[in-house]
Amino acid sequence: MRRLNAYALTFRLPIIIWQAIFFIGPLFFMIAMSFFLVKNYRMVEAFEFKNWDKMLSRNYVWDSYWYTLGLAALSSAVASLVAFPAAFALAYRSSESVRRWAIFLLIIPFFTSYLVRTFSWYVILAESGVINAGLGYIGLGPYTMLNTMFGTIVGYMTLTLPLVVILQTVSLASADRSLIQASQNLGCPPWRTIFAVILPAAKTGLIVAALFAFILSFGDFVAPYYLGGSKPPTLPILIIDTTKAGQQWPRAAVVAVIMMVTLFVVAFTAIFLAYRKRGSK
Amino acid sequence: MNEPLVVLDGVQKNFGDFFAVKRADLTIEAGEFIAIMGPSGCGKTTTLRMLAGLEAPSAGDIRIGGKRMNDVPPHQRDTPMVWQSLALFPFLNVRENVEFGLKMRGVSTAERRRRAFDWIERLEIGEFAERNIETLSGGQKQRVALARSLITEPQLLLLDEPLSALDAHLVIRMQGVLARLQRELGITFVYVTHSHSEAFAMADRVVIMSQGEIAQIGNPREIYRTPANRFVAEFVGRNNILTGTIESSDTDQVTINSVIGNFSAPTEGIHQEPGSLASIVIAADMVRITREATDAENTVVATLISEEFVGSIVTLFLEAADGTEFKVQLQERALTDLDVHAGGQFHLSWATADAHLLPENNG
Repeated sequence: MRRLNAYALTFRLPIIIWQAIFFIGPLFFMIAMSFFLVKNYRMVEAFEFKNWDKMLSRNYVWDSYWYTLGLAALSSAVASLVAFPAAFALAYRSSESVRRWAIFLLIIPFFTSYLVRTFSWYVILAESGVINAGLGYIGLGPYTMLNTMFGTIVGYMTLTLPLVVILQTVSLASADRSLIQASQNLGCPPWRTIFAVILPAAKTGLIVAALFAFILSFGDFVAPYYLGGSKPPTLPILIIDTTKAGQQWPRAAVVAVIMMVTLFVVAFTAIFLAYRKRGSK
Repeated sequence: MNEPLVVLDGVQKNFGDFFAVKRADLTIEAGEFIAIMGPSGCGKTTTLRMLAGLEAPSAGDIRIGGKRMNDVPPHQRDTPMVWQSLALFPFLNVRENVEFGLKMRGVSTAERRRRAFDWIERLEIGEFAERNIETLSGGQKQRVALARSLITEPQLLLLDEPLSALDAHLVIRMQGVLARLQRELGITFVYVTHSHSEAFAMADRVVIMSQGEIAQIGNPREIYRTPANRFVAEFVGRNNILTGTIESSDTDQVTINSVIGNFSAPTEGIHQEPGSLASIVIAADMVRITREATDAENTVVATLISEEFVGSIVTLFLEAADGTEFKVQLQERALTDLDVHAGGQFHLSWATADAHLLPENNG
């Protein structure tokens, strides 16, 4: 066995302890809690499959699951598509200093609370809001945008778009430019270069950016609740509702475990695709 | 129309105040192997990139096959380039890399696969066809890059220091591969390098560039034996350059006077006024070295400083009384009779016919 390097261990120890106390510990507790029972609005330790039976056999749980999964996938796709032109322009059509400033400005939204940014959409999207007032001038609308899936996606974009643009910009900017010239030298027209060279060359970063958008959207409570009107409820809303209804923490834990497992599968698949190489070794 | 394949007519390229290429006039015949050589920053790579359309000339015309190419974008030319960095696509395997050019030209899958395998076989990388690029060695990657560039069977292949990243023994092997391919295919090669050995070993003609200008164009022998100016004489190396004032000049022979003696060279039709400065060049392998004085035409006494062995060739570095440096190149076996040791005194001599008067004294 390799001797443990005391020096290296000293520097690794804090992160290991931190992860053990605040991530792995609670995770195992949550898994354990999903087997507890609730009697007279009080949780009692047990090892029963009742919560799992109940939650997995209910249609509304599955409806919510597929809805949340679809919504997060849609959010991830929309964020990736909307971000790409901006990231492309920043990576290939801007000077170094413009790129630096743009990335700085993209970080600014994170300075204010996500909740505040979400509420500010009320003013813009409401029936009597800014957009409908504008459309009213040219004889259109009003359109209902709050409490719809559109509203939810707008909220998700508020959460994910700056990050996705930053990640895409960084990965595009660090892709090898000589490959672009090489492709044109071999007869590839500029527009085709995007699909033939740039996307494959920046693949890892683009997939990781999409993965972040998926993870953030999948677990987000604020956008579907305040802008989407919580109908139909996503899994995070379901968790809140379940804990409120008769102190059903164990059933909420079941939903949370299902979400964790889903994210593990999605993240592993995405990372595998991101780093997959062509051809045999 | 009998125009050469490539014509550079007063081509200039500047990036703001910096003139990468000040003026280039060059014609390249179909089937030629041209090497463009010079120190870094001399404009050789910029010239090559203009042929590929990756840079647009600031002035002058580039014509390929009789057609003015100045405004033709790179993807509409058939001027593939082998890059110094190779620029192979890491997300494609060997065969897909090779097929790329045909795919862009809309060749059917079956056809391009067949042609890709032909080239892969020809360059002896058949067993790696489905491999990931990153698993190949430097020499194998080099062959992939060549196959990728040649698959469209272009008239003109551009090579930008393609062998600079390879080990010395692989460079020699790839030189053989390149020279053979060029001969068999009859494709025009334009080969940019800073290495004398690569340029002289392969090229039909060598273009020497310096500070954005063409210093000399000629076959390797001409460049080596009759350098056009001091820069070329120094750049190709292994030349002794002697500067002095012209003592006498008649129709056949010119004699210059320097601190270490009088030396003669054929005039080669150049007339220079007595009293003006002039330089003559004697190639290192034309200098004889002896222990005893000889009655040769041109002689100098010099002290041995050091020696350098490359294979069976040895180069001796000597210094004359006034500090003028001399290089003498000879076969290693010739050393045995000479008793060389640093600090020893030797007599150097050469025939007047082997000396070369620099046409212009620009140094």
